[in-house]
Amino acid sequence: MKRITVILFAVLISTVSQAQEASSLINAVNKKFASVNDYKAKVLMKFALPGIKINTLAGRVYYKKPNKLRIIAPGIFFVPKENPMKDIPKLLANTKAYTSIITGYETVQGKKCAVVNVIPLDPNLELIIGKFWISVKEPLIYLSEITTKENGTIRTQNYYGKYKKQALPDKILIQLEMKKFKVPKMLAMDVKKKSKKKEVASKKTGEIYLLISDYKVNTKLSNSVFTKK
Amino acid sequence: MTFEYLLCISKWIMSNAIEVKNIKKKFGDFVAVKDLSFEVPAGEIFGFLGPNGSGKSTSLRMMLALISPTDGSIDFFGKPLKKNRSEIMGRIGCIIEKPDFYTYLSAHENLKLFARANGVDYSKEDYTELYELVGLSGREGDKVKTYSHGMKQRLGLAQALLHNPDLIILDEPNTGLDPKGIIELRELLLKLNKEEGKTILFSSHILSEVEALCDSLIVINNGETVAQGRVEDLLSDEDLLVDIEVGNLEKGKVAFENSKWKDLLREQKGNHFRLNLPMDEIPKVNTYLIENGVELVSSSYRKRLEDYFLRITQGK
Amino acid sequence: MKEFIAILKNELIKTIKRPRSFIGFGVVAFICLILQAAFANDGREILSLVTGQLENTLSIEGQVLNGNLICFVLLQTLIIQMPLLVALVTGDLVSGEVATGTMRFLLTRPASRTKVLVAKWLAGMFYTFLLLLFLGVLALFVSRGIFGADDLIHVNSEGLTVIQANDMNWRFAGAFVIAFLSLSVVATLAHFLSTVLDNSITPIVSTMAIVIIFTIIGMFDMPSFNVIQPFLFTTHMISWKDMFEDPVPKQEIINSCIILFAHIVVLLGSSIYIFNRKDINS
Repeated sequence: MKRITVILFAVLISTVSQAQEASSLINAVNKKFASVNDYKAKVLMKFALPGIKINTLAGRVYYKKPNKLRIIAPGIFFVPKENPMKDIPKLLANTKAYTSIITGYETVQGKKCAVVNVIPLDPNLELIIGKFWISVKEPLIYLSEITTKENGTIRTQNYYGKYKKQALPDKILIQLEMKKFKVPKMLAMDVKKKSKKKEVASKKTGEIYLLISDYKVNTKLSNSVFTKK
Repeated sequence: MTFEYLLCISKWIMSNAIEVKNIKKKFGDFVAVKDLSFEVPAGEIFGFLGPNGSGKSTSLRMMLALISPTDGSIDFFGKPLKKNRSEIMGRIGCIIEKPDFYTYLSAHENLKLFARANGVDYSKEDYTELYELVGLSGREGDKVKTYSHGMKQRLGLAQALLHNPDLIILDEPNTGLDPKGIIELRELLLKLNKEEGKTILFSSHILSEVEALCDSLIVINNGETVAQGRVEDLLSDEDLLVDIEVGNLEKGKVAFENSKWKDLLREQKGNHFRLNLPMDEIPKVNTYLIENGVELVSSSYRKRLEDYFLRITQGK
Repeated sequence: MKEFIAILKNELIKTIKRPRSFIGFGVVAFICLILQAAFANDGREILSLVTGQLENTLSIEGQVLNGNLICFVLLQTLIIQMPLLVALVTGDLVSGEVATGTMRFLLTRPASRTKVLVAKWLAGMFYTFLLLLFLGVLALFVSRGIFGADDLIHVNSEGLTVIQANDMNWRFAGAFVIAFLSLSVVATLAHFLSTVLDNSITPIVSTMAIVIIFTIIGMFDMPSFNVIQPFLFTTHMISWKDMFEDPVPKQEIINSCIILFAHIVVLLGSSIYIFNRKDINS
């Protein structure tokens, strides 16, 4: 009986300490995020979405706290409905709404990262779980997986370079689960290509790759930038 | 050199405008034209006659390269149609069957199309003159769909004359024309023939017109020639129509009633009695009438193509 | 040559002045305007048929409902009607004149039958071109005027392709050239049937019947049909859509154009051969 009590106590102590460690990591990340009120930057977007062909596009990205984000580029393009670039800072900033815990350590992009699970306290929230791979040496999220009820899991890999100090990545790879895209028959009249129909959208994970450069941070961006005309 | 030149000139003068040699046309098993040959000397008005279904239209169409003969040859101006179609068509003006035009265009627009197709460059004055000639002045701007059949015939004639052809082929050109129009057409054709030396091939069911116009003619039936030659030579004495005008009608009636020529009386209009008589009987009739107290005002005769035509095509 | 130009001018005048020629323009204008009005009203709902599937995970930035898309949809819709409109005029070019008797007047002129027929064919091509140009102006420029210009979301059986607005002009130009070639085959087929048959309605109905039958054969993925499908002109009539593929399948387009062009050559050659031997009995 004594043994069991000791083991339970040890587990409790360990859990508490891991939760504390997770919180401190998140706090450090939040501190970094807090230093950026807004930014604008050049962005180059590459898309690999199942059933969708779209060329690489160049544009500009605008961000303003707490969760305003807009990418302006000529033409039509796709962005994740729940964009991690704006949603992660907002999610992590509200520390009272979730509990966090380190579930292990993994190496991402050659960095030792703590795998921090973020679980919302309110079960009615859209978010089911958030997993963040945060470097143990510096408060940077190298990889994240946000799982929501509606949209499945969005996996984001951040690659840091010139703007590492402000936790602003040079490259972001967003991977999302997509439903198989079905072409309405009335809209596809290409009789010649019927033999290729079986290949349609077999791949279910979509990727959006963002190359971001020339960040201008805290320039007091106007709200009007985020209003669609 | 001079001899050759004279030979050439004489050949041209003596040449036939049309030479049809042994043409045949079969539509499947049906033989429309069996074996037809004739010549139309240059400068003549030539009648081309035949009852309905005789092969007349088929022959005319073969002559205008609308249908190809199964056998035989057709020459115009001494040149075979087959090898010289383009040149020959440039020298022929025609109306074949009913005159059909682009009804959504005006008569003037129609004529301009045909003028362009014939390479004719007409001035406004030329067109005005042509409209006056065919009797369409003032109506040339109207859409053809508003035209009567007679007006279409006049327009048909205008398009046939448009490019000043050497040979005019007219198939039933007086159908739909009023009496004034028929007379005008007759006068116009005679003028074109006599004054401008145009050769005319004339086909009509109004045989009095053919008789009045044509120098020679051909009659075809069942796809073959049944008669051919000069009009005067073809019509025999049997086809004389004698017109006797009397001064006292009642006496005249009684005299004819009691005569042996009673059954030959064709009609009586006013003081005129018309009979079919052989030539040698005319003086006998005249003498008889005078002897029976009838005042003889005039006695004349003419040969009737109508009778001749019926006789040779229907055996009457 | 002067003679040919003269009769070609005649044919063009007749084609332009015929009341029937305006039916095509009226139908194209009506369909374009009615679809443009429908898209202005219900465009977003129609588009959600395609984009709705994506909108759970992705949001679409940019003006999806734009002039380029409307033009594309109009082209796709009218590809069904255009052959009928083209056949309505070209199917009557020869047989109509034979039936009404005006062919007699045409063929008793110095121009050869070949010249008359080729002039008629060119007039048919000119009409087809004008009709397509009219569709192009209405579908592309009017739609762009109303809905603006942006990238085109092009849907085919392989999925969805976003074509950049900068590329639209040359792609549409290419598509119109291919569509013209396709409709030229229909026009030449109607012209051929018009040469063979003597009344004005049968060639039009026969042309449409052939288009429908070939289209149906082309739709079924059956081994016996698959053998002949590549040689049916209807299979290549939608090649204009290849201009909106990324990358543009040049070889496929060239092959389609060669097959379409071969149809034109064979049909026109046959028309000339038959017409030169045809008896004009009407």
